[in-house]
Amino acid sequence: MLNDLLLNLALGLSTALTVENLIYCAIGVTLGMVVGVLPGLGTLATMSMLFPITFYLEPTTAIIMLAGIWYGSSYGGSTAAILLNLPGTPSSAVACLDGYPMARQGRAGVALFMTTAGSFFGASVGIVLMMLFSQPLVKVALSFGPAEYFSFMIVGLIAACVISDGSAIKGIAMVMVGILLGVVGLDVQTGQARFIFGIVELVDGISLVALAMGFFGIAEVMWSVRQAAVTDIGRVSLRSMMPTREDIRRSWMPMIRASGIGSFFGIMPGVGPSVSSFLSYALEKKVSREPERFGKGAIEGVVAPETANNASDQASFIPTMVLGIPGSATMALILGLLIIHGITPGPAMMAERPDLFWGVVMSFWIGNILLVLLNIPMIGIWVRLLTIPYHVLYPAIVVFICIGVYSVSGSTFDVFLTLLFGLVGYGARLMGFPAAPLLLGFVLGPMMEQQFRRAMLLSRGSLDIFVTRPVSAAFVLLAAALLLWSLWNVYRARRAVVSEQPS
Amino acid sequence: MREYRDIIGGGFLLVLGSSAAIHAVTSLRLGTVWQMGPGMFPAAVGVVIALLGTVILIGGLRSSGPRIEVDHRSMLFISLSVIAFAALIRPFGFVPAIVAVVAISSRSDARLSLAGIVLLAGSLSMIGFLIFQVGLNIPLSAFNWPR
Repeated sequence: MLNDLLLNLALGLSTALTVENLIYCAIGVTLGMVVGVLPGLGTLATMSMLFPITFYLEPTTAIIMLAGIWYGSSYGGSTAAILLNLPGTPSSAVACLDGYPMARQGRAGVALFMTTAGSFFGASVGIVLMMLFSQPLVKVALSFGPAEYFSFMIVGLIAACVISDGSAIKGIAMVMVGILLGVVGLDVQTGQARFIFGIVELVDGISLVALAMGFFGIAEVMWSVRQAAVTDIGRVSLRSMMPTREDIRRSWMPMIRASGIGSFFGIMPGVGPSVSSFLSYALEKKVSREPERFGKGAIEGVVAPETANNASDQASFIPTMVLGIPGSATMALILGLLIIHGITPGPAMMAERPDLFWGVVMSFWIGNILLVLLNIPMIGIWVRLLTIPYHVLYPAIVVFICIGVYSVSGSTFDVFLTLLFGLVGYGARLMGFPAAPLLLGFVLGPMMEQQFRRAMLLSRGSLDIFVTRPVSAAFVLLAAALLLWSLWNVYRARRAVVSEQPS
Repeated sequence: MREYRDIIGGGFLLVLGSSAAIHAVTSLRLGTVWQMGPGMFPAAVGVVIALLGTVILIGGLRSSGPRIEVDHRSMLFISLSVIAFAALIRPFGFVPAIVAVVAISSRSDARLSLAGIVLLAGSLSMIGFLIFQVGLNIPLSAFNWPR
């Protein structure tokens, strides 16, 4: 057991330390910092812009880079939150609550230093969990049949819609639309073309790149042009970053608790870093002896959520790699990338491509160390980056989207498709429909259909199979509980509104 | 104000879901639940979308919501710039296409000056050249002339 682990670590290190992988890891985390720091440029948009480039890379290298963007943006996200009171990424929204007050008190440097320390700590816990639990989980995953897979995906999809912000029913509707879009193309089992309406380009299905860039690139630009504004920020010197002994004393317990929360919710499908950061902030406020300090620049209130979201980022790779089931739209993109490279994540991949899994894991260590270096000695660069106005950025984003989509297959059809999805995505956003569940449904849909059809073959058409197999039954119960919980929340909210209205 | 966001969104889903279900039922083989044909799954998904759309639509009719503010200008210019890219890239190469995208899309808020457009388009072309031709060796030509 221990011997195996050491062998795997050696294999992972030798993969992660090749020159190419090191370079792309550095590119990934640096880009992640950039998009994390800049509000109005999303992680998903950046990952989808770089997606086409990854076709020209080894799958391991490609994931190392894309993953770097993902966890790098979590480090960067807190910078704008602290300095400008604008979250660079959704999961760093909580860091505004106490980070910005700290900046107003002239303690921005300390806040930046401690969030970096917390982020590194949280990420380390997440990576260690990944190293320890992935192998035992493979054994569990191998016992999964089609029924278990299907029920587990249902739990993930429902959790993603219910727990994320906004209306749960709109989230579920978007998941279903994503699943429907995933149907387009050849049916794997019968080879019959479905929903292509005579368009030859659609035989291989809708391009994941066009879909992601439309919904997260074009739509996001259309949405942000009028929203972005830049305010003045001061300078952050290295000396101002030194925390006092008091800061450290207050921070270490929250870091430990937050990495527990973050890892736990990272492993659960559908619950992302945003939820983890909100929950850990709430917990710290609850256990604190002086809850009144929160919201006025309490160091715990900055450190805890930033630790939690990084732990969650790393831990969310566990279900994606071990089970082949992505818990979030970002993970769906990484899973889609693997599938395009002809690798199906899951227990079989863990056995056949240990170099890929362990190489990616070890690259996380390298990437996180690089991020600490990027964040502490080089903080001045990021502060200056915050002053780039959005009206210079967005034409560049549109250019990268167009070139990115076109370069995948040299097809102008995909460029038009991207525009179409962009317009639909903008419309959906105006109507308050979230886009992330759609991408999740799009990637999971074909898998769900296959597993469902297999389960039905096994059970001779009886739906009982989902509740008679104990593991599957547990997932079904969990999904039902989540749905009931969200309905209860809606009901309670309605009642609150009604009782407030004077009638 | 009615909750028009839910009325429009729900209505759209109702139309999308029911037409998908009808298309699946009429043009694809359904099969049995035991041995499902290619049409069964999309038909079921279509029905669920239509149902969810109906629920959202009814909810919207019964509640009130904010005004929908559409940024027509950004929608128009960004769409035009993408169309221009698609039209220019194959016959003329990526440099003219990039110039067109920057020039047209930046009209969304009209804050980028002429010098800004030249500078931005120039540096993006440079980056494109470095990434695609030097770095990845993708056959994308910088300049072309239609024959």
